[in-house]
Amino acid sequence: MRVRDENKEITIREKAIELIVKEGFNGFSMQKLAKGAHVSPATIYIYYKNKEEMLNKLFMHVRIVFWETAMVDFHPEMQLEEGLLQQWKNRFHFILAYPMHFQFMEQFRNSPLIKHKDVDISQFKVSMKAFIKNAISRNEMKKMEPEIFWAIAYGSFYSLVKFHLDDKSMMGRPFEFTETKIKQAVKLVTKALNP
Amino acid sequence: MINKEQFTFVYKTNIQNENDHFKIKNILGAHQLVEEWSVDTEDKDCVLRVVSDKISEQEIKETIHRIGFQCTELI
Repeated sequence: MRVRDENKEITIREKAIELIVKEGFNGFSMQKLAKGAHVSPATIYIYYKNKEEMLNKLFMHVRIVFWETAMVDFHPEMQLEEGLLQQWKNRFHFILAYPMHFQFMEQFRNSPLIKHKDVDISQFKVSMKAFIKNAISRNEMKKMEPEIFWAIAYGSFYSLVKFHLDDKSMMGRPFEFTETKIKQAVKLVTKALNP
Repeated sequence: MINKEQFTFVYKTNIQNENDHFKIKNILGAHQLVEEWSVDTEDKDCVLRVVSDKISEQEIKETIHRIGFQCTELI
């Protein structure tokens, strides 16, 4: 009888994420993964039916890791600035701790290959919505289109992260996204959101 | 719920196209002892994957052989 080997499962998953990020989904195959992860193709097929199903399971896993990381020390009742600061810190931590996961998530966020229905309901989304609702009811911000809120609250964050990850920022020199700079930017973002 | 990993069997086959897939569907889809099955026709080994805790690895192989397909354990 076959015994479940969690380490093997993790090795397969991490290698798959890495290969898909580096070589793209079209260039990816179960055979390549077997070689890369030093396991037999049979072992991979125990966990996954085919590469499409695998992609969806990986995406779901990566989102759960992201959600869990984003929720650390965060409460929907936090003041707007305090909550945003925690979100920025947590999200930055996720990107630094799981760079492959982050790239994978960015790559497939809007991919038609991902069956979003399976992954849409989460405590993360519930908390993020409650956080915004609370901020509005405390008059820390006005009601606005979610896209506008996201662009201001987090779009700015991802731009700064990109500067940090690139060797050179727009100024032609390296940009280090330090805690002081995070705080400074969150202050500005909060001001922009204030009514 | 059965522990799926323990009862998942994978085979290398020559189930290549839709027509082949249809033949397999007629057999495995209607099989009361088969909980779940799929064929990865995109893979070069056309991997057949069957989940069942009531039928043996060998029995599945013989079932596939009987309808004229190759089916060997995937290594």
